[in-house]
Amino acid sequence: MTHAADHSPVLERARPETAKPREPRIGFEGAMMTPGLILLAALSIVPFLALIAMSFSHVRLLGGVSLDLVGLRNWARFFTDADMWMSWLRTIVYFVLTVGLEMVLGVAVALCLYRVLRGRNLLLGLLLLPMFVAPSIVGLLGRYLTDSTFGLYAWVLRSVGYSGDILGSPISAFAAVVFMDVWEWTPLIALITLAGLSSVPQSVREAAAVDGAPGWMTLRYIVFPAISNVLLVALLIRSMDAIRYFDIIWVTTNGGPADATKIVPVRLYETAFRFFDLGYAAAIGLAMLAFSIFIARTFVRLLDVRGLTR
Amino acid sequence: MSATEAVPRHPPVSAAPRGTPQSPLEETGRGTRWAVWVILALFMLWTLVPLVWMLMSSFKNRTDVTAATPQALFQPTLDNYRGLFSGPNNLTPYIWHSVLAAGISAVLAVCLGSLAGYGLARTAMRGKRHLAFWIISTRMAPIAAVVVPLFIIFRGLNLIDTIPGLVLAYLTFNLPFAIWLMSAFFAEVPPSLEESALVAGCTRWQAFWTVILPLTKAGLVTTFILCLVFAWNDYAFAVVFSGPNSQTLPIAASQLVTQTGVDWGQLTAIGTIVVVPMMLAGLAVRRWLVTGLTLGAVTGE
Repeated sequence: MTHAADHSPVLERARPETAKPREPRIGFEGAMMTPGLILLAALSIVPFLALIAMSFSHVRLLGGVSLDLVGLRNWARFFTDADMWMSWLRTIVYFVLTVGLEMVLGVAVALCLYRVLRGRNLLLGLLLLPMFVAPSIVGLLGRYLTDSTFGLYAWVLRSVGYSGDILGSPISAFAAVVFMDVWEWTPLIALITLAGLSSVPQSVREAAAVDGAPGWMTLRYIVFPAISNVLLVALLIRSMDAIRYFDIIWVTTNGGPADATKIVPVRLYETAFRFFDLGYAAAIGLAMLAFSIFIARTFVRLLDVRGLTR
Repeated sequence: MSATEAVPRHPPVSAAPRGTPQSPLEETGRGTRWAVWVILALFMLWTLVPLVWMLMSSFKNRTDVTAATPQALFQPTLDNYRGLFSGPNNLTPYIWHSVLAAGISAVLAVCLGSLAGYGLARTAMRGKRHLAFWIISTRMAPIAAVVVPLFIIFRGLNLIDTIPGLVLAYLTFNLPFAIWLMSAFFAEVPPSLEESALVAGCTRWQAFWTVILPLTKAGLVTTFILCLVFAWNDYAFAVVFSGPNSQTLPIAASQLVTQTGVDWGQLTAIGTIVVVPMMLAGLAVRRWLVTGLTLGAVTGE
C-alpha cells in the first residue's frame, strides 16, 4: 500500500497510557478521519443503498417520491433489452477507440517531448491546456468546428473532398466524438508517461547505448519495461474517467444520429431524466458501477504489489 | 601519426549534468530529430487550433463568426462579451453560482480531506485497505450511477436547484479525491518529523498543524485546484440538479444552443470565460499535476 503506516514507537507513546490502559478504540488518526468519512458515507453508502433499492422498484416522482417494489422486472428488462446490448457494444467500441488512441498518441508525444531539451516546459505547458477545458465546452467547440456550413474543420475537410455533415451521419459522428475525447485527454497520458520516462535511470540507458543497442531496441527492452507500471496507471486513470464523462456526447449529438453515439451513460441519462424511468436507470447504474469497481480494484492492487515510482 | 589525431573528436563521456535527460551516448541521427519535431509540431497544431479558434471567434462579429469561409483576419470586437453582461441573458448570476458551488466544495473537500488523509496515512487500524478501497472506488464511481439515487434523495431533502445541493453533489467526487490525494502527500512526509515534534512537547494536533501541514502546502494547493477544476467543469450533475437559482457556467453555455439557432459568438465567449481561469489555475500547479491526476500513484516531473 502506498500509504503504508509508518509505525513509530514515539507516535504510539503519545497516547495517554496512564489514563487508559487499553488502547483507545478511536485513536488520534481515527478522530481525524471521522468527519470526512461520515460525510463520505452519507454521500456514497446512502446513495448506493438507494440505488440498489431503486433497481428493484418502480419509482414514482409525482406527489412525493415513493418506491413500489417490482422484484426483478428492471433487471429482466436490463438483460433482454436489445437496444441496451447495442449500447454496451457501442460503449466498448468507444472505450477501446478513445483510450487506445489516447494511449498510443500520448506515449508517442511523450517520447518525442522527451527528446526535446530546450523549451520542453513551455511545450508541455501548451500541450496540457486541453485537459482543463470543461468537457461540455469541448463538445460545444467541436460542434462549432465541425458545423457543415461554417466550421473550420468542416471547411478543411471540404477542401480535401469530404463534404458530408460530420455530426449528421452515424460513422462520422461517432468518429467526431471519439476525436474530441482524444483531443482533450491525450495530454494527460503524455504527461504521465513523461513522468515515467524521467524516472528511467540514465545509467541503464547509457549501458544500453554502450552495448550498441539501436534506438528501437532500447525502447523495447529498456524503456518500456521500466515505465510499464506508469503506463498501466495512466491506462487505469483514463479508463475510469472514460466512463465517467459523457458530457461531450451529451452536448454534441445527444446519442444520435440514429443512436450511433448512444453509449451506456447517455442512455442512462435519457432513461432517468427524459423518460423518468428511474428504476431501470438504477439497474443500468449498478452495472456501470460494477465496471468502475473492477478498475478501482486493479488500481489498488497495482499500488499494493508494486511501489511504482515513489 | 600526429598527436592531434589522437584527440577524440567528441568530448570525453562523463556523467551528464543534473537535469540533462539525455546522455551524449544517446544522440540520435538527424532523421529522428526531424521526425520528432514534425510530430510535435503536428500535435501542437491539433491541440492549439481549436483553442485559438475559440478565442478568435469570441472577438468576431455576427457575420464573421459564421462566415462560410473561415475568417482568420477580422475586425476584433468586444460585442460578444458586452452582450453577455448586458442584455436579457446576463451571465453574472451563472458565474456567481459556478464560483460558489465549485469554491465551497473545493474548500470543504480540502479541509475534510486533509484531516482524513492524514489519519489514513498514519493509521495502523485493521481494515485500512478496505477503507482505502472504499474511498478510491467512490471517486471512480460513474457520475451517471451517482446522479440517479442522489436525484431521489435531493428531491426528498429539497436540495434540487440549490447551491448546497450542488456542493454536496460535487463533494461525492471531490471528497474521496481529496482524502486519497492528501493521504499520498502526507505519506511522503517522514514520520520522524512528528516524532521530534512530539518529543519537543507538542500534542498530536500541534504536530499536525504546525509541523506537517506546512510541509504539505504544495499538496494542499494542488488538491484544492484540482477539486476546483473538477467541480467548475462539471456538466453532468449540474444539468440534473440545477435550476434557475443555481445554474452554472457550462449550463449557460449549453443553453445558448437552441432550436432557433446558436449565437456562436457569445458561445465562444462563454467558452473562453469558462476555460481561461481553469487553465491558469492548472498551469500554476503544473509541477504537482502528475501526482494529483494519478491520485498519488506516480510522482515525478
